[in-house]
Amino acid sequence: MSEQVQLIEESLKQLINRGGIEVPMLPEVANKALLLAQSTDSDASEMAQLIQSDQSLAGHVMRIANSAAYTPLSNLVSLQQAIARLGMATISEIALTAAIGAKMFNTPGYEDYVSGVWQHALATSLWSKEVARQCRSNVEVAFLAGLLHSIGRPAVLQTILDLAKQEHIELSDADVHQLENTYCYQVSKAVVNRWKMPTLVIEAIDSYTDSRSSLAIENHAAQIIAGSKFANNMLAPENFDREVLLGLPVFETLNLYQDEVEELLTKTDSVAQRLEGLSS
Amino acid sequence: MSTNEFDYDVLVIGSGPAGQKSAVQAAKAGQKVAIIERDSLFGGACVHKGTIPSKTLRENALRVKHMRQNAALADFHLSEETEMVTLIDRLDEVLKSHDKYMRKQIDRNNIVRIHGRASFVDEHTIKITKVGGETKNLSVNKIIIAVGSYPRKPDNIPIDHEHIFDSDSILSMLYLPSSLTVLGGGVIASEYASIFQALGVKVTMIDRYPTPLGFLDSDMTDTFVKAFKAMGGTWLGEKNVEKVHWDGISNVITECADGTIITSQKLLCAAGRIANTNGLQLENAGLALNEKGLISVDDELCTEVANIYAAGDVIGPPSLASASMEQGRRAASNALGIKIGSMSQLIPAGIYSIPELSSVGLTEVQAREKYGNVLVGTAQFEEVARGQISGNTEGMLKIVADTQGKKILGVMLVGEGSTEVVHIGHMAMLADQDVDIFVESTFNFPTLAEAYRIAALEILAQRA
Repeated sequence: MSEQVQLIEESLKQLINRGGIEVPMLPEVANKALLLAQSTDSDASEMAQLIQSDQSLAGHVMRIANSAAYTPLSNLVSLQQAIARLGMATISEIALTAAIGAKMFNTPGYEDYVSGVWQHALATSLWSKEVARQCRSNVEVAFLAGLLHSIGRPAVLQTILDLAKQEHIELSDADVHQLENTYCYQVSKAVVNRWKMPTLVIEAIDSYTDSRSSLAIENHAAQIIAGSKFANNMLAPENFDREVLLGLPVFETLNLYQDEVEELLTKTDSVAQRLEGLSS
Repeated sequence: MSTNEFDYDVLVIGSGPAGQKSAVQAAKAGQKVAIIERDSLFGGACVHKGTIPSKTLRENALRVKHMRQNAALADFHLSEETEMVTLIDRLDEVLKSHDKYMRKQIDRNNIVRIHGRASFVDEHTIKITKVGGETKNLSVNKIIIAVGSYPRKPDNIPIDHEHIFDSDSILSMLYLPSSLTVLGGGVIASEYASIFQALGVKVTMIDRYPTPLGFLDSDMTDTFVKAFKAMGGTWLGEKNVEKVHWDGISNVITECADGTIITSQKLLCAAGRIANTNGLQLENAGLALNEKGLISVDDELCTEVANIYAAGDVIGPPSLASASMEQGRRAASNALGIKIGSMSQLIPAGIYSIPELSSVGLTEVQAREKYGNVLVGTAQFEEVARGQISGNTEGMLKIVADTQGKKILGVMLVGEGSTEVVHIGHMAMLADQDVDIFVESTFNFPTLAEAYRIAALEILAQRA
């Protein structure tokens, strides 16, 4: 590592240690959508009202709701109708994934890369949910933890690029990604804490990189890992090797036998359709 | 004495209460023993998905209930956003200690632990399939099947583990729901319905029978239903559920044959449990399930195949952890030809609902059918000083005696502490003591044990 990269790394470490990494605010609409879906006495009209308050989000939700993945046979015209058809939880997922995303971060030169990271996070969240269902574990935790497990990547990338600009240092792509890979998970933890995600989601993301954790939390972290592997295979089918996937140690942690992993693989088309819907 | 003809003298399939005890018993008899568990953790559903997690939640539900009852002492309010993880906070600690204790016991007895799925190749050969797919055949002299059970999934209930749960997935909910429909009226349904109601969830319990826990006397179940309703719960008996579906918005809709429609945020289907024999390939060993989907055994717990025994939920009722442990111990002893006394038919049943219920021996209905005019004595907890002091007044104890009012035929309790207090009656019955023992003995004062004396005096007063 060159002296210049070391200098950036030192500044980055200091920022992380004193909690100085710029973490974007959880967009209000995403936060409210999440709370509404969890609330015990909210109803569809409140959700519709919330989404209508953000025109671009309303448009996005309608686009997704009308996509083939969600409503192959019907043509939805109102948000209320879309919520009735798709459900509060699904609409909150759509709102959340639309409100948080690649566009929250300023990463000049790395926009496509960040989009790719976000696409992978979305795919991971959908797969983690299926893995959790198979394990009789909580599907909401799996979705959120899968979605946010790599949120630190764009955040730390933005910080690295800002620091380099500030210090007038030109970093190579390899240097940028090395630093990003080293510190992204620490920052993911900081983001989910700052966004006050449910305890199990925070703990699952904590445990995603740490080995010290409880049995339940360890399983949630393993669901993210498995979700991420299924996502890799789905997003890059040309690299898919069934034997390699079946042999992954994470399935031992989750106690998923080969036939159960094979059963999960049969869901690839439906997950891909949902991903397409969420990303449209 | 161990032999070298086989890889193992005894192989136990399943590490729940029945499996563990049978493995330990066989090992103590000097046998080379292995125990196979398909899950990564030892202990079976009882430890990881059933008894222990639900009882941990119950302890906290009781605390919440007491805090509400003592609102004058503390202004208590359970937040609507309370996460389930907070309510089963000590579970991980409890499970880890249990796992550690079990592993120690297994290791101390030189029992080989095998993580994988078992299937029969023939009556003396078991194929092990590891999680990663590797397989290995083991030759075995005696086999004990203790694979337990899993929740039954009726065709008309689309369990998705997200909105509609079974008893294995109900505790995976992230937040306490505002409302919960519980389908079923058995032990699991009654336990979860009352626990969630005590936590402030609006619970509706639906079953096709007129009362829940129909195997108990109606005065016991009436007390349970009264307490459940007093907490705000709804009991809907004699309803046949035709269809359950998620409305796609935020509720689960339950439609009954009589037109009743119940809407709730989540639903628990507790429609019984079935033997966990999938994948065992019993037919390769010459075994088949009986018409109830269980493995048939004789009095010695031996199956139709001479070297294969079975114990626990897989052989059917009483399906209690306590009974399974004893069956496991006996299955191993019988398989090895070790002489043991006959198994007592007096197995207490404990239902960890709120309030608890417990019984041992015959119910009043069973006793009347069998013996005619039996004598019955009851004591309400509100008559007992300890009940008044601790606010534990919604309960009762009942003693059923023979027609002379002498021999104790059964003891039943409903109310907090029932699953412990029942053992006083249980011991008296095992020692073949008359009802008089409860009058002639001195109990601590104030205790719920005093209820025995009150009920016994009522019987004595009826003697001819």
